[in-house]
Amino acid sequence: MGPVELLHMSVFSQSFSPCGRYLAAGNNYGEIALFSLSAALSPDATVQSQKPVLTFTAHEGPVFTLISSDCHLLSAGNGEISAWSWTELIKKNVKPLWTKRPNYKSSLEIPEINAMIINPRDNSLVVGGGDNNVHILDLEHGVFKSVLQGHSDYIHCVSVREREADILSGSEDGAVRIWDSRMDQSVHCIEVYKYESCARPQYGKWISCVTTDSDWMLCGGGPSLSLWHLRSLSPTSIFPLTGCQRQAAFHQDMILAVGDGPFVSHCLLGGEVKAQIPCTPQSLNTLQLNTNSTEHRVLTAGGSSDHIEVFTNLSYRAFSLSF
Amino acid sequence: MGAVTDDEVIRKRLLIDGDGAGDDRRINVLLKSFTKWCNSPGTPEEGFTQYQRMLGILAQCESSMGKTLMVYDMNLREMENYEKIYTNIEQNITSAHDKIAECKKEIQRAKRIRKNRQEYDALAKVIQQHPDRHETLKQLEALDKELMQLSHIKENVDAKLELRKKQFHVLLSTIQELQQTLENDEKSDNDDSQESPFLSVLFCKFSFGSTVFSKQHFKPSILHYVVL
Repeated sequence: MGPVELLHMSVFSQSFSPCGRYLAAGNNYGEIALFSLSAALSPDATVQSQKPVLTFTAHEGPVFTLISSDCHLLSAGNGEISAWSWTELIKKNVKPLWTKRPNYKSSLEIPEINAMIINPRDNSLVVGGGDNNVHILDLEHGVFKSVLQGHSDYIHCVSVREREADILSGSEDGAVRIWDSRMDQSVHCIEVYKYESCARPQYGKWISCVTTDSDWMLCGGGPSLSLWHLRSLSPTSIFPLTGCQRQAAFHQDMILAVGDGPFVSHCLLGGEVKAQIPCTPQSLNTLQLNTNSTEHRVLTAGGSSDHIEVFTNLSYRAFSLSF
Repeated sequence: MGAVTDDEVIRKRLLIDGDGAGDDRRINVLLKSFTKWCNSPGTPEEGFTQYQRMLGILAQCESSMGKTLMVYDMNLREMENYEKIYTNIEQNITSAHDKIAECKKEIQRAKRIRKNRQEYDALAKVIQQHPDRHETLKQLEALDKELMQLSHIKENVDAKLELRKKQFHVLLSTIQELQQTLENDEKSDNDDSQESPFLSVLFCKFSFGSTVFSKQHFKPSILHYVVL
């Protein structure tokens, strides 16, 4: 990796291992790097321990999304989903377990896959991509069981509601659709840009982040980041953050959001921005909290740089891992 | 390494034996002077002074022995004291650990409560924007009443319309019958041909039927005309 390539690197996705000791990060060159958190967080960590323990090329195009199930790491980028075994990766064996492609209508152009999430109810993988549809892959049998059609433009992000069997998807056409995973139908369609309080016409109408807490939903992108009550489908709080937010998460009583701007924003549910913690990359694409391990409970954020910021205490940046 | 340890050993021995050499030496000297004094052929004064000197040395030895005994006691007591302090501190540490765990749980609980409160506030904000339930109910009631009134009126108007239709139907059918009867009469009276112009005027009048006659009014007037 030459210095020019490092300069132009963007980290698009991250995922923690099921044991919580490793972090996998995917960049725009199609590589996935594995970092050892236990080495980086130990008291006698050196500069070498902040480098990856393993880097390999996973896809031909950028790795837009990574997700971990209890023993696999699933990665997707240019239309193909690859599965890797975590134990094998820890042993530095980089052979994928399987590679699948959803059934696209046109075989000429392979649309990219922008977001994946695992639906724990029926052990299925929800995949949203460039062909405007949400595909559902049954992880037990390895077949694509259904396609949810309804969006008129490509899908940026997907999320699942744990309590109800619902899938949420946010797309470039400005709509957040709520699908019933049992009936495979669109239950609600929220066009966020039509609400005056959230809309920001200068940025557009696209929705780039959707995340849900069963009763509440956060969505943002072109329109401002807003908190919605899903039962009444009404926006309750709008967060006055400049720039477009690319990923948001609920954490205890706070909301963490990253997007344009070199900081991680901490907001309260009431709509005020409590803090903005500065980071090195100029804009951040992905934010992950390590909930799989108690002693390595960190927050990591990656963006348009080859550094991944690690926060041990949410209030300040501890150190950076670099590719 | 060997030289260092030798030096250390020598130094240590010197340190330890330094004091011990003094005491030991004193006891040896005492013993030697005692034997010399026992076997000395000197004058009684010399013997007495020697004796005094020996007592002095003995007293010195006893005092140093007393000192070391006291130091030993003091060390024992210090040890006990430290043991006590040590156990005390250990207990404090464990209780502090417990308190920290408790506080962490409290903080989690407080964060949950705060989150719930904020969610409540957010929902309350949205709900406040909607109008009051009582007012809406009252409005609904008023609208319902209006609706009922209007439907009553509509029913009345419908009934009236039906009635008028039936009345008109009766009128027109009676006119038709009369026309028929008059035609029949005209045909039968055509031989006479005296009342035909008068009857044709009557026909014209009846064929319009524009004015509304009630059934009761109509019968006597028809009879009246027919009689004519």
